[in-house]
Amino acid sequence: MAQTSLSTLLGIRYPILQGGMAWIADATLAAAVSNAGGLGIISAMNADAAWLRKEIAKARTLTDKTFGVNVMLMSPFAEEVAQLLIEEKVPVVTTGAGNPTRFMAGWIEAGIKVIPVVPSTALAKMVARSGATAVIAEGGESGGHVGDLSTMALVPQVVDAVSIPVIAAGGIGDGRGMAAALMLGASGVQLGTRFLVAEECPAHDNYKDRVLRAKDIDTMVTGRRLGHPVRSIKNPFSRDFASLEADNAVSNDELEKFGGGALRKAAVDGDIERGCVMAGQISGMLTKVQTCQEIIEEMMAECRAVLANAEKISL
Amino acid sequence: MVFEKVCEVIAANKDIDASTIAMETTMAELQLDSLDVVQMVMELEEAFDVSITINEPVSTVGKLVELIESILASK
Repeated sequence: MAQTSLSTLLGIRYPILQGGMAWIADATLAAAVSNAGGLGIISAMNADAAWLRKEIAKARTLTDKTFGVNVMLMSPFAEEVAQLLIEEKVPVVTTGAGNPTRFMAGWIEAGIKVIPVVPSTALAKMVARSGATAVIAEGGESGGHVGDLSTMALVPQVVDAVSIPVIAAGGIGDGRGMAAALMLGASGVQLGTRFLVAEECPAHDNYKDRVLRAKDIDTMVTGRRLGHPVRSIKNPFSRDFASLEADNAVSNDELEKFGGGALRKAAVDGDIERGCVMAGQISGMLTKVQTCQEIIEEMMAECRAVLANAEKISL
Repeated sequence: MVFEKVCEVIAANKDIDASTIAMETTMAELQLDSLDVVQMVMELEEAFDVSITINEPVSTVGKLVELIESILASK
């Protein structure tokens, strides 16, 4: 029996999801991605339910297409946000930074399709058993909060571990990456950094410009000591953070305090020296601002061309 | 009996000497993160033939043992 395609399952045109980026993925970006045929996602980040309710209402005025919400499980407002998603009947929920099983029964009962981000096969199996519609296998090439495994190693192992669709994320910047992900057994892809530099993305122009200027080796991971490592562009902030992290005299509390509010500083205020410019390893591939429509159509055309040429490869 | 099995699974999966593990031992002391815990829970489910849901962080070996014991008791 042929498996239902991810696009059909989610009610979208192309199997491309937009990552839930805190302070970046708001109603405007999510609606633009959904209008372009992908699945736009609003990041609930550390915000409360009142803020999210407004963003959901705004997205509904900007698109009549399916969009989703990403729940950051470490958020102090995770409980009230989880409840709001049920009240608002948000069609798709993705989760990050933890194990979402405690919320899943309620969401699924409300008809919500749940797609957790998983950095390991065991968590993939656990959420699949709890009724997940699909999982996002995100490798450490991605920006923001990262796991240890790379996408190349993680995706096929998750594909083998579960029988639900797997969406590949981390390190996918163009149609070649998308084609490679499909060859690894993924049913679709999630892009963060690529949409970060979209015209409709609300991130500060300085932030987008910094990502566009970045070369292949310009990102680094900090915060391993705190248990939630983050990939960002190397800048004075990340270098100072790394120095403090390596200094045993600095407590974890002091380190957390040093990093507090740094993403907002970069994404909203445009301070790319003292803020945390979260971005993935594909930053070096990006050279220009494009609309979400252009990004998605270019990705799909490249992916189809690469797959069509595959049979010409001689082995 | 549950404690012994938990120690055995931790020892087998993470190459940790089982004799160094006590009920009070924290996952952090064993240098195990939340993903390690999820992985071990999946192994323990098979061993005990139960379904374990993690609703709150499992910070110590003892909490993991209690969680499994409570599920076994209600079975």
